[in-house]
Amino acid sequence: MRVRSSSLAKCNRTFSWVSRRLRKGLPVAAAALLLAPVIVLAQTQIYDAKTRTWVDYDSKKARQYYARNKQSPEAFRRQIVTFRTAEPPGTIIIDGNQHFLYFVQPGGQAIRYGIGVGRDGFGWAGIVRVGRTAEWPVWTPPAEMVARDANAAKWAAGMPGGPENPLGARALYLYAGDQDTIYRIHGTAEPWTIGLDVSSGCIRLNNDDVTDLHSRVQIGAKVIVLMQGAALYKGI
Amino acid sequence: MSREEMKRGGRALLAVVGLLSLGACTPAPPPPEAMARTTLMTAPADLQLLCANAVTSSAGAGVKVLPTGSRLQPDGTFAVDLDAGGKKYSCIVDNNGSVRSVAPV
Repeated sequence: MRVRSSSLAKCNRTFSWVSRRLRKGLPVAAAALLLAPVIVLAQTQIYDAKTRTWVDYDSKKARQYYARNKQSPEAFRRQIVTFRTAEPPGTIIIDGNQHFLYFVQPGGQAIRYGIGVGRDGFGWAGIVRVGRTAEWPVWTPPAEMVARDANAAKWAAGMPGGPENPLGARALYLYAGDQDTIYRIHGTAEPWTIGLDVSSGCIRLNNDDVTDLHSRVQIGAKVIVLMQGAALYKGI
Repeated sequence: MSREEMKRGGRALLAVVGLLSLGACTPAPPPPEAMARTTLMTAPADLQLLCANAVTSSAGAGVKVLPTGSRLQPDGTFAVDLDAGGKKYSCIVDNNGSVRSVAPV
């Protein structure tokens, strides 16, 4: 089949047009790629002593670890650590990115607890205080949670306290001034989630740890919440 | 000692030196309390708060100072971003807890 010369010319013109555009656009595209901000997604990792490597710690890995060991990885278990701060003993500091809650002690130390924090888009930061506390609290999901989550909607009138209650054994209610922030530090019915970004913004500890913290904390205690990439701020 | 024996001895010595080098290159595992980390490489909370304390001295009493971000620097120090009543500050702190610099942004 012979190609007509007019068609060939048209093809050639089209090809040349495309080539010119590519030649102009390629440096721009390359520059855009180089200058575009690198989006770093946060990922928790734990050290695997057997393979001597750092491995990603996600929901699946957390469930497997907890099923095998009946507790969280050692880094997320309650322990005394060195903590250099001018904040007085009794202050609570939450490091949401590293998944730790520190309860400041005298002598440059703190009790460190492992925590679960808000999932992507639900993280928050600020300076608040413990307004009140409760044992085996009733869980009443906030209106926005009822609106988006069918599991929360069926408990809109309040779920009684108990082992299946999402707040677990204890709750510390966080206030900014005299206003309830709706955020709590609480226990959990899902202890394998410690070390993960899972909640709607509340800070969760396993029930043994939250019971220990509750026994030490004073009403009015200052709570500093550190979270890089927070979606909102409270108390500042 | 024959040439063959010297060659065998030399190869054995090289093997031992190689193994020792590999062992020296393998980093020591972290202590158990440090066996969790975030890929974000944020500064430890106490170092962030040391920066906050340093900013409070500049910003004045009564101003709430909150670290809002941090990152590891190539020299091993941490850069910490802070908010002091709406005013932004930048702080550099090292792992010994020494605040190297504080400046308004």
